[in-house]
Amino acid sequence: MISFQPTKEELSFIEVAKELAIEKIRPEARACEDNKQVHNPLAKQIQQLGFLSLELTEDWEGLELPLISQAQIVKALSYGDLGVVQGIPGYGDAAPFLRLFGNHPILASIKQQLRTNFQQTIALLDVEDQWGANVILTPEVDHYILKGTSQPVRLAKYADYILLFARDVNGQPLIAFLNKEEHQWTVMDGEVRLGLLASGISSLSFERIRIRKENIVALGEEALHCMQAVRTRNYILHAAKEVGLMEAALDYATEYTANRKAFGQHIAKFQGVSFRIASMAIETQVANHLVWEAALQVDANDEKGYGAALRALYRAHRSLRYVTDSAVQLLGGHGFVQEYPVEKWMRDGEAQVMLYGREHLLLQERGEQIVLGVKEVVEK
Amino acid sequence: MISFELSEQQQQIKEMTHWFAEYEMRPIAMEADKLGKVPDDWLDKVNQMGIHLNTSSFSSDDGSDKGQNRKREREGNRLGVLATEEIAWGDPAIALSLPGAGLGGPPIQSSGTPEQKQRFLSIFTKDKPRWGAYALTEPEAGSDASGIQTTAKKVDGGYILNGQKIFITNGGRASWVVAFATVDRSLGRMGQRAFVVEKGTSGFSCTKLAKKMGLRANETAELLFEDCFVPDENLLGGEALYEITNNKASGFQVAMKTFDSTRPIVASMAIGIARAAYEYTLDIVKREYPRHGKYFQLATEYLAEADQDITAARLLTWEAAWRADIGLENAKEAAMCKAFAGQIALDVCAKCLELLGPVGLENHLVEKLYRDVKVFDIFEGTNEIQHLVIARRQYAPFEIKV
Repeated sequence: MISFQPTKEELSFIEVAKELAIEKIRPEARACEDNKQVHNPLAKQIQQLGFLSLELTEDWEGLELPLISQAQIVKALSYGDLGVVQGIPGYGDAAPFLRLFGNHPILASIKQQLRTNFQQTIALLDVEDQWGANVILTPEVDHYILKGTSQPVRLAKYADYILLFARDVNGQPLIAFLNKEEHQWTVMDGEVRLGLLASGISSLSFERIRIRKENIVALGEEALHCMQAVRTRNYILHAAKEVGLMEAALDYATEYTANRKAFGQHIAKFQGVSFRIASMAIETQVANHLVWEAALQVDANDEKGYGAALRALYRAHRSLRYVTDSAVQLLGGHGFVQEYPVEKWMRDGEAQVMLYGREHLLLQERGEQIVLGVKEVVEK
Repeated sequence: MISFELSEQQQQIKEMTHWFAEYEMRPIAMEADKLGKVPDDWLDKVNQMGIHLNTSSFSSDDGSDKGQNRKREREGNRLGVLATEEIAWGDPAIALSLPGAGLGGPPIQSSGTPEQKQRFLSIFTKDKPRWGAYALTEPEAGSDASGIQTTAKKVDGGYILNGQKIFITNGGRASWVVAFATVDRSLGRMGQRAFVVEKGTSGFSCTKLAKKMGLRANETAELLFEDCFVPDENLLGGEALYEITNNKASGFQVAMKTFDSTRPIVASMAIGIARAAYEYTLDIVKREYPRHGKYFQLATEYLAEADQDITAARLLTWEAAWRADIGLENAKEAAMCKAFAGQIALDVCAKCLELLGPVGLENHLVEKLYRDVKVFDIFEGTNEIQHLVIARRQYAPFEIKV
C-alpha cells in the first residue's frame, strides 16, 4: 500500500536527530569549519546517541536499520550542518562495507579496536574514477604494489584504515583493506577552501606499498559485486544528507524572506521571491522522494536498486546546487557573508557534489542502463 | 511505514486500466486527433463496459461506509491517480472524453446535498453515455477565480444566471454543468455560489467549441447563460451551506476544495502522457539508434532525465493523493505535484521529439502528445498559480500572506 507515513520508531529517531541538529550541530558548525575538524565532544555525543552505527550489524554493535529509516535520520542530522556530519570520524563510507561484509576474516583482528574506539576512522578510497589521479596497482607473484597519488578523499586526514576499491593494471577489480601501521601512506598537504572543511578531505600518496594477499578482501567478479553494493548504499545515504541540507536552506531562506522588508513590505510578497521559495520546496521534495524510493528498492533487494540510487544521487546533486544557491540569492548580500549560514551551505553543497560523482556521468550511467539494459552495461 | 508498493487492489486497478488504455484507447488515438472527436460508437461501447471518468469517486468521503469498514484505510485518491496515469498513457484527449461526471464530480460529492448527489451522480448509467462538467473560467477570470463576473440574481424559487464561461471540458455535451456565479460582485469571494445547471435549461447554451493546439479529440466549450433560471434545488449544497458558513466564501471554497482532489488527477494525466512519449521513444532508440557516439550519449542523458522526472512527479502525486486519503490537508502537495508534473511532462515530450528529430514530424505519436500536454501546465491552475499556492503554505507559519 502506497504510504508516506514514517514508523513510530523512525519518528522517535528523527525527533532526537533534529533536536541534536538544531541545538548542537548547527551552533558549532562554524567553529568546526574554522578548526577544520569536528569537535571531539560533539562527535562523541553523536556517537553515543547511536547515530554512527545506524548502518552496522549487531555483530558490530550497530542498529542495522533499513536504508529507508537511515535516509530519514541522516537527513535530520544534516539539517544541522552537512559539513559537521561529513566530518564525524568513524566508519564513514566504509559502513555499508562493514554491514555487508563485516564477517570477512580480514576484519576479525581489528573488529574489537574499531568497535571500542569510535575515533578509529576508515576512509573509502575508490580509484575507479581516476581523472586527476595516478594510482597504479600492479600484480606481483604473491602480492600487489600500490603507488601514486589519489584524488582528494573524505576523512583521509584522520584515516587509520583505508578500504580500497581499485582495478589492477590488467583491469582486474580488487578490494583491499589497508591499515596505517603496515602500509604507511602519506596524507598530502593540499588545502581545501571550498567546503566540507571539517571532513578531513585530502589526497593520499602511496610509495610502492605492498598489499599482501592477507589484505585483499575480494577480487574479480566478487569485488565488482561488492563495490556496487557498497556504492549503492552510499549513493542513497549521501543523497539523503543532501536533502537534509536542502531543507535547512529552504527553511532558513523562507524565514529570512518572511521577516526582511524592502520597498515598504516583506520581500516574501514579491513573487520573484515567493516563487523561488516554492521552487526550492518542490526541488527538495522531489529529491527526498527519489531517495526514499531508492532506499525502499535496496531494502527489498530489488535488482533495480542501483539504478534507483544513481537516479536519486544525480537529482539530489542537481537540487542541492539549486536550493543552496537560491538561499544565498534570496538573502542578497547577507547571503554572501559569513554572519549567515547559507554561504557555507552553498560551499559545502558544491564540495559534496564534487566528491560524490559527476552529475552527468551518473546520468549517463543510468541512461546506459535504460537503453542497453543492466546486463549489457556491466559487460561493456 | 513508508512504502511505494501497490496494494492488491491498487495493482488490479492499474493493470485493468492499462489493458484498456493499450488495447482500446491507443489504437484510435491518432485517428481521434485527426477527426477532432472521439467516435460515438466507441463512446457507446466503453460506456456499456461501465468505463467512466468519474473523478468524484476518487475523492468521496460521504461517510457511507463509516461503521462498516472502520479499519479499512481509504485509498480512493491513490486508486484515482493510478488509474488516471494509465488512461492518459493510452490517450489524454480520449481519457478526458470518457463518459462520467469528470471534473464536475468532486464539487457535487464534497458539497452537494444527499438529494443532489443522488440526482446528479446517478445518471451515469450504461444505457447511453453522459457527461458532467465544471465551469469556472470566464473570459476575464481564469487564474483569478475570485474575480468571476457571471451573476446570479435571487428570484422567487431560484436564481437568474447571466454570463459566459470558456474552456469548459465536455461543456457542450454535458448533462449538467457545475457553474460558479456571484450574487454580488462587490462581495468578492463571499458572494460566490455554485449551481448545477442542467442541459436544456432555458437560457443556457453552448455557443462555440474551441479549436486547440492539442487535445483535439476532446470537446472544449464556451457556455452562455442568458437570463437562465436555475431553481433553488440546483444551488449546490442548498441555501443551508451558505447559512452554516455565514456566507464566508462558500462558493469559492467549493471551487478551491475541488482543486485539492483534482490537481493530483490532472498531474497523473500529465505523467501518463510523459510516460507514453518516453516509452515510445525509448523503444525506437533501443531498436534504431547507434550504440555509441553523440546520438547515443544524447539519448542516454535525455532518457535518464525523463525517467527520473516521471518517477519524481509520480511520487509527488502519490503523496498528495495519500494525504487526501488519510484526511490530511494536501493543498500544498496537490499544487506541488501539479506544478512539477505539468512542467516536466512538456519537457519530457520535447526531449523525445528532439531524439526523434525531423522524422518525428510525420505520423509519430510523440508530436501529438507534445501538443496535448502543454495545457496540463495551464488548466486546473497554471504553473504560476501552483507556485502561489505552495508559497502561501510555506509562509503560513510566519503569518505572511503572499
